[in-house]
Amino acid sequence: MPLSQHIGAPARPIVECGQHVERGQLLAESASFVSACLHAPITGTVASIAPAVLPSGLSVMSVVLKATDAEHEADSLARAEYWQNTVPGLARAGLRDFPPVEDIRRIISGAGIVGLGGAAFPSHVKLSVKSEQRPEALIINGCECEPYLMCDDALMSAYPSCIIDGARLMKEAAGASHVFVAIEDNKPQAAKALAEAIGGRTDVSLRILKTKYPQGGEKQLVEAVTGRRIASGALPLSVGVVVHNIATAFAAWQAVVAGMPLIERVVTVSGDIPENQRRNYMSAIGTPLSEFAFTMPPEARIVVGGPMMGRTAVRLDAPVLKGTSGITVLSGKSRRPVQACVRCGVCVDACPMGLEPYLLSTYGRLRMFDDARAAHVADCLECGACSYSCPSARPLLDYIRIAKQRIRK
Amino acid sequence: MSEPVLIFSPSPHIHTRRTTTGAMKHVFIALLPAIACALYYFGLPALTVLLVSVAACVATEWAVTKYMLRRPSTISDCSALLTGVLLALNLPANLPLWMVAVGAVMAIGIAKMAFGGLGCNIFNPALVGRVFLLISFPVAMTTWPLPDAGFGDADGATGATILSMLKFGNADGATGATVLSMLENGAPGVLDRYDMFIGDMGGSMGEVCAAAILLGFVYLLFVRVIKWHIPVAVVAGLAFVDLCAGFPLWLDILSGGLLLGAVFMATDYVTSPMTRGGMLLYGFFIGVITASIRHWGAYPEGVSFAILIMNGFTPLINRYMRPALFSPRRKEAVK
Repeated sequence: MPLSQHIGAPARPIVECGQHVERGQLLAESASFVSACLHAPITGTVASIAPAVLPSGLSVMSVVLKATDAEHEADSLARAEYWQNTVPGLARAGLRDFPPVEDIRRIISGAGIVGLGGAAFPSHVKLSVKSEQRPEALIINGCECEPYLMCDDALMSAYPSCIIDGARLMKEAAGASHVFVAIEDNKPQAAKALAEAIGGRTDVSLRILKTKYPQGGEKQLVEAVTGRRIASGALPLSVGVVVHNIATAFAAWQAVVAGMPLIERVVTVSGDIPENQRRNYMSAIGTPLSEFAFTMPPEARIVVGGPMMGRTAVRLDAPVLKGTSGITVLSGKSRRPVQACVRCGVCVDACPMGLEPYLLSTYGRLRMFDDARAAHVADCLECGACSYSCPSARPLLDYIRIAKQRIRK
Repeated sequence: MSEPVLIFSPSPHIHTRRTTTGAMKHVFIALLPAIACALYYFGLPALTVLLVSVAACVATEWAVTKYMLRRPSTISDCSALLTGVLLALNLPANLPLWMVAVGAVMAIGIAKMAFGGLGCNIFNPALVGRVFLLISFPVAMTTWPLPDAGFGDADGATGATILSMLKFGNADGATGATVLSMLENGAPGVLDRYDMFIGDMGGSMGEVCAAAILLGFVYLLFVRVIKWHIPVAVVAGLAFVDLCAGFPLWLDILSGGLLLGAVFMATDYVTSPMTRGGMLLYGFFIGVITASIRHWGAYPEGVSFAILIMNGFTPLINRYMRPALFSPRRKEAVK
């Protein structure tokens, strides 16, 4: 369990080597306002608190847990009980009354909940807004961030009422008056389930959006739902909204209603693997990537996340993190031979931020960083739409990243 | 079992199947109807002009990369092939073959490779080749074989295009104005709109048949290789001048190289603007300049010049007609 799997300060461990921990027990506490708690995803013993390798190859301080077979057995039973009886029962019972706002915020913070769409920004920070800046609306993002990923779809289809109740809890915590649940039109089943869960409520509405990439991008989503555009460098709060992922809403529900901290998440395993291996797992955070069942192509790119923005793993013994939405297994090399730029304009059309990727990439390549800054390179989301669509297979985003990193200094 | 190889690479990890060479192949397919018409109307000479033009363009690019730039050859990207086809379609079918070759060397050697090869040229290579020939060999470039729809039966009959008849009068001594009224009123033995639409008239190999060009246009839109903006704006610009000045619009659209230029020459990625707004501006002025040259200039035809002039403005248009940044609109829509 890496202590830093969220944006912000690493969590501070409160357990010691050799100590026995129960599943769900606090391992490390939030070290500052922008930080997140960490809980034991399994019952076991703390084997060490030492640097461990992330999928990216970076080492971070981690709490390493080891479980005996008996502990593993007991955990399996507890998990089955929780998912088969506790959660459906609580879902049926529904949410009667809201705890006080302060309690909701405290529980969400204490459960170690972070943005589960991938950014892993501590959720309680976004919910703790000063009363004079209270948002009008909370948008729950059910637009699967990337192609191949299906984790949001799976959750929405399986636990629609929990998500709606979780969203209402978050709405209360944020002080908003309305919830929009946004979903793309390629998920009719999930949309139907959510619509039924919303029923006749007036404080929640479902927005079905066109399927396109990157519809789940925060700025794109806010525009699609409210028609408002967020200025360069500004937060959604500047136009009166707060955005949370659908899985985050579900985690909030689990924390508040079921008392379960964030120790599991849905991970989509997909890509160039047999059809029957492409599936969603409710996976304990900290599970090594190698534990997932998929056939490795001989030359593989194991992408942690989706194929557009995910990062290739260099180690398979590295764990699933809170922000890991999927494991995308791709075979072979992705790059084709590069051809000359013919200024066809496809990248300009593809850019969701209205930038000119061909120009920014040239600035990056020629080290013209001031020009890149003037051409708004900092607005780039790194969504990869330009590199994906370039018919000359030019590495547009690679050079844009160079420019972005350079002007940040 | 050997350890599987993990490849590390930055995102995105997937890529479209479309390629630049693929786009050029689509343009070539879109040109097939026009090529077929050229062969049908002008016979064997059209085929030889086409083959010489393509061979000379490809050979020039190969020679320049091998002996002057000492770089890997780029002929496999198909762009030289396409330039060869487009150049041929902009030439009269009876042009001496050595002139065709000279035009091809100019197109590839000077207009394209001297600027740095594919993607770096400012002016459309095929049009540079054509205009070079037009200025150097004005008689040969404006002596048009009359279509006789018989393969190989080149009896040497030549004549003027409608545009030059309008400007200079016809061989029987009728003035341009008379030719115009004959056309307008459908005098016997004179072309009508239908002839012009299917291409039964004198002209460059690829420009005569409007129907074939429009077929190619529809194909290019269908496979999304080009957008509609430039061709439509070209016709709109021409129509604007024609309507203001009272010139015959249908005649202007169907005659000369207007449609060939609008669909295949002005839409060249490299030398045209990137944004839709820029494309509309660029196309509109091509239309305006074409009509102006035709009606007030010294040449009967002006499409090539108009496109080359606007090619020169493309960097400027790209600089000022930027895509709209994602930023708050002035008037925020509130739900």
